[in-house]
Amino acid sequence: MACAEFEERLLEYAELANGERARVDAHAAHCSTCREFLEALRTVDSQLTAQLAGIEVTPAFAPAVRRRVRYEGSAAPPSAVPELLDFVGWGAIVALLGLIAWWLVPLAHISNTELAGSFNAPYAAAGAFLLAALLIGIRSFADLKH
Amino acid sequence: MEQEIRACLDQKRYQEAFDRLLPEFQNKVFRLAYAMLGDAALAEDMAQEVFIRIWKALPGFRGQSALSTWIYAIVRNTCLTALKKGAVKRESSLEEPNVARAAEEAGVPPARHAEIDVLRFLDQLPERHRQVLRLYYMEERSYEEVARLLEWPMGTVKTYLHRARKELAELVARSKMEKGTG
Repeated sequence: MACAEFEERLLEYAELANGERARVDAHAAHCSTCREFLEALRTVDSQLTAQLAGIEVTPAFAPAVRRRVRYEGSAAPPSAVPELLDFVGWGAIVALLGLIAWWLVPLAHISNTELAGSFNAPYAAAGAFLLAALLIGIRSFADLKH
Repeated sequence: MEQEIRACLDQKRYQEAFDRLLPEFQNKVFRLAYAMLGDAALAEDMAQEVFIRIWKALPGFRGQSALSTWIYAIVRNTCLTALKKGAVKRESSLEEPNVARAAEEAGVPPARHAEIDVLRFLDQLPERHRQVLRLYYMEERSYEEVARLLEWPMGTVKTYLHRARKELAELVARSKMEKGTG
């Protein structure tokens, strides 16, 4: 474990400004723990860079993919499901807004009391809202699955 | 390039779009798969699966996100499914034939000449630390590229990377010490 005060700076050693780096070097010169930690970090950086940097697929990769694509045939036609869900979802939102508007501004010739017996606006609004949320959720999930 | 591919898609020229997309994204797809799976041969197989999925789904690409974002999401989903199925169990090292072959193609020096094979220590780190570390070094230490490929916030990438490098350095330091005293 490196000294707590220097650990962060040792991890960012390559990005340190000259003055800061000189301070870290001066500390590491007489602190064997930090010196070993810095040395280990250099080993990690140099080895993983040498082994992993810019690693690429083998030359056989692209021809193999093209062969498989030829075998698979033409690309699948687009599904109408997302559009359908979009349409129903937005329809539900419009219905919900309509219900809210109706609830807030009742028609002059029909009283809310008359309607209350046959139709419960808050429950209908909540139902429409949940339906809209559900459909839009399914729609988003369908998008993610692409 | 992405605009050219999109133009092909708009005109339903899917084969041409795919022909442009494959060389453009094959290495990114492979690296992301390798970062997530930790096995070069498996990552290349997975990358093939990803491109077949892309080919099948191309007509349905709605352009709501960048093409690269869409492709990387497919890679992540495909790899996560493989990980959940338990298809990947171990950490690869350059001393293993699969990685050695991929490394040789990339002109990477063999690890057996090195005193310590750091890649082997990755096995002892948590999954997310391993992923972020591999990708960080594969993408030539670009935080931005790692964040873009994994779709993690930059702060998260930096935090994980710091912890992962620290853990790895401590493991290496301990191993060096043991070798020195042993």
